[in-house]
Amino acid sequence: MENLTVKEKFNWPVTILLLLGLFTVLFPLYMTVIIAFKQPSEMTNDVIGLLSFPKAWSFDNFREAMRVTDFWRSLFNSFLITAVTMIVSIAIHSLMGYAVARNMNTSKFYRFSYFYVVSGMFVPFAILMMPLVKQTAQLHIDNMFGVIVLYVVFYMPMNVLLYAGYLKNIPVALEEAAHVDGASTWTTYWKIIFPLMWPMHATVAVLTALGTWNDVMTPLVIMSGSGVNTLPLAQLNFQTQFGTNYNLAFASYLLALLPMLIFYLVAQKQIINGVINGAVK
Amino acid sequence: MRKVLLFSLALVLCIAGTVHAAPVEIELVQYKPEAFRTFDMLAEKFNRTHTNIHLTISSPNEPVTILKTRFIRENYPDIIGIGGDMNYSNFQDAELLADVSDYKGLANIKKAYIDILEGLEFVPTPGIFGVPYMANAAGVLYNKDIFDAHGWKIPESWPEFLKLCDDIKAAGVLPMYFGFKDTWTTLAPWNALAVDLAPADVCQQVNLSRTTFTKEYRETAEKIFALLKYAEEGPFAYSYNDACTAFARGESAMFVIGNYAIPQILSVNPNLNIDSFVMPGSDNPDGQTLNSGVDIMFCVMEASKHKDAAYEVLDFLLDPENIQLYVDDQNSVPCQTGTFKLTPMLDGMRKYIDAGKMADYQDHHYPSEMAVDAQIQTYLLNGDMNAFLERFDRDWVRYNRDIITKLQKYNASH
Amino acid sequence: MKSQNERKRTFLMIAVPILLLFFMFNTLPLLRGVMYSFTNFRGYGKFDWVGWRNYIDLFTDSRVGNSYWFTFKLALVATILINILSLIMALALNAKIRFKSFLRGMYFIPNILGALVVGYIFSYIFTYILPAITHAASMLADKNWAWVAIVIVCAWQSIAMNTLIYISGLQTVPEDVYEAASLDGATGWNKFRYITFPLIMPFFTINMVLCMKNNLMVFDQIMALTKGGPAQSTESISFLIYNNGMSGGQFGFQSANAVVFFIVIVIISVLQLRFLNKKEEQL
Repeated sequence: MENLTVKEKFNWPVTILLLLGLFTVLFPLYMTVIIAFKQPSEMTNDVIGLLSFPKAWSFDNFREAMRVTDFWRSLFNSFLITAVTMIVSIAIHSLMGYAVARNMNTSKFYRFSYFYVVSGMFVPFAILMMPLVKQTAQLHIDNMFGVIVLYVVFYMPMNVLLYAGYLKNIPVALEEAAHVDGASTWTTYWKIIFPLMWPMHATVAVLTALGTWNDVMTPLVIMSGSGVNTLPLAQLNFQTQFGTNYNLAFASYLLALLPMLIFYLVAQKQIINGVINGAVK
Repeated sequence: MRKVLLFSLALVLCIAGTVHAAPVEIELVQYKPEAFRTFDMLAEKFNRTHTNIHLTISSPNEPVTILKTRFIRENYPDIIGIGGDMNYSNFQDAELLADVSDYKGLANIKKAYIDILEGLEFVPTPGIFGVPYMANAAGVLYNKDIFDAHGWKIPESWPEFLKLCDDIKAAGVLPMYFGFKDTWTTLAPWNALAVDLAPADVCQQVNLSRTTFTKEYRETAEKIFALLKYAEEGPFAYSYNDACTAFARGESAMFVIGNYAIPQILSVNPNLNIDSFVMPGSDNPDGQTLNSGVDIMFCVMEASKHKDAAYEVLDFLLDPENIQLYVDDQNSVPCQTGTFKLTPMLDGMRKYIDAGKMADYQDHHYPSEMAVDAQIQTYLLNGDMNAFLERFDRDWVRYNRDIITKLQKYNASH
Repeated sequence: MKSQNERKRTFLMIAVPILLLFFMFNTLPLLRGVMYSFTNFRGYGKFDWVGWRNYIDLFTDSRVGNSYWFTFKLALVATILINILSLIMALALNAKIRFKSFLRGMYFIPNILGALVVGYIFSYIFTYILPAITHAASMLADKNWAWVAIVIVCAWQSIAMNTLIYISGLQTVPEDVYEAASLDGATGWNKFRYITFPLIMPFFTINMVLCMKNNLMVFDQIMALTKGGPAQSTESISFLIYNNGMSGGQFGFQSANAVVFFIVIVIISVLQLRFLNKKEEQL
């Protein structure tokens, strides 16, 4: 509605600068695409050869990459792990962030809990890896379920930090009003606070999803020998110390990139919608 | 009710068991993902011809990480196929591997390779803990077409090799290409020279404080540095893949590397005419040794419950027909005696293989965390040989402290 | 009063199970790791207790010392660079520009690609394309410049995420604040300095801390670009811990390294948070 009444004036100099700046993003991407289409015999070590188009725009590399990685099955596993991790993370981490943010200033316990969880962010994964391998095996969760549990724990510190920070901007008065009306804390949270945090949910979703989607190490060590592959695990097929097929590898990277790109575009709309909702209040 | 059901179920299973004995499951994990097709084929053939044993071979990526994590979980395969390197030494030292000296097939394995395995043990242990299967060989690969066009001869001594490099350079051709950005590639010329110039058991000698690396590796260090002026400018910018690509495209006449590089080179240029020769590190033509190690061997895990079945699998894999199958697929050199048809690309090394004039890669004795490859790269960059050798000796003691103590304790008691 | 109790109970019922889960899969393995730091454990098989040896070694190991120097140099420079650039990007992408969604989408792509993939692409660029333009040797082959190449790649990839966080921060700034400021005659830099920046300060804090921490733990970029070379000049702490601890046989020693590294990062981050929170209060 507003767009019609106030005529929108675009900031063209900034737009043009941003468009020019896109070169820094597009150039490496261009390299990825042309390498993905080339054959190993077309790979050269000189600049012109590197930048030139492939001889033929054939999708053979993509087909072969899909076959080698057992694409649909790996995609499904990756998708399942990422989606479940994301949903569980948003639910649990936002709750924890809420509990911490609302009590940190009055309670030593929550203050301690906050620093305890957040400090987990700084633990180098390499030191946890071997003990975790042993622990997940003993609990018989050396499978996708275990990987999801580990992700939910890994991303907890950062997400709690983000949520707790965001809740500082949401006034307590809103909840108090609901309390007066007799709603429980639990209901108030889901009815009032949770929906207010959409922009942060979107950010957390993007961060968590990207981290899990691209991660190799955790599924590699936790699920080794189980025969279950995720996309990044399957992509290891393309490189060994004694030879890398960059063409197939890049083709498969491009394939793995698409779902995330779509996801991001959706999430981005959510961030903007969240603000519109906020403006409505 | 439930008990009855369970009982009858157990009964049915028992009957089924006696009528049709379930085959013994044998799991083999091997560490060469690039050979997965060959192994899949062998497993399929095995299962077709054997009803009493069912064999599963897996060829995972990141195999060493996977094996280690499985060991942490105490989830052991029956057989592992690994290389003759520090991992073997560590697994053996951790008492994970079974003694297979009672395995009959060992009689047909070339002694040189069994000796290599013995040499890899931190502390001499009675028994044999692996069955060498395939060997690899490293030295110089050369572009036969370029060599033939200029009439260049294969050098037999270090002065001849330098002369050849000068000739190649004078003809306007780049003598060799290095991919030193990947530090491990510095070990290829290093090993190839060291087998000619340093004693094969130098590491053990140092552990017993009988000599120093400063003394034994000086000549190797001098000679590897001399190669730099025959390589492309700034070899530290290029990776192993780049070097393979350059050599495949005829940008250099030679490539100091092992037979494991051949598939990658051919993937860029399938028509390249490659042959090889032994790196002539010694000034004396009779002093040359081929750099050859155990590329893959099979170790039966101590935890395996089916040692007999595992031996049956080994019998199958060591069958000359199956060895030839593997050799054809992977351009490898078998560790077994007997006549096999090898790839012509290793013709230049054949003489040494047949005569058993070979020695293991020295780096198979270096702990990977010491990063000798990176130290060689550092030295090649700054040219400070004394600093390099001093550091080698100093770091060696620090990274091998526990092994040295163990070995000295062993020597004191034997 | 009753509702106060209900509120307390609900919070406890949320926090306690989550804390337990966290303890199980983060603290417990960490404690085991600390235990291993007093052994010569290889990761499997048997091991001996070695007391404080690993910790003593740590302070006399020049390689560990170099890795600390390299990692901190890299993290500091990259964090500052990334935050300045992402703040500028966020302001630009939040301005009234044409093709807003498209541009935001495009600039986010670097973050979707895995760090390893980005590393491979850039290693092509640094090895072949840049030298052809600058007529100089590859940055990756020069031990004085290789770290700069890593800074560039880290920045290229992280700017997207930091920009996104700044954008979501900028969105919390109500439009009427700007309108009020404009009426008061505030423009450009002043508007940013006195109005926008204070309002997004919490996001700045989060970005600085996260970014610093990510850069201190740099690993993938190193694996893809240099593997610690040339001449061991780009060995980061995480690289050493993983490479020598997991791939090599130094699990015990590198556990000690990881324990010390963990303490160091926590101290840095706490100091950072203290400092930035103080600033937040001042504004």
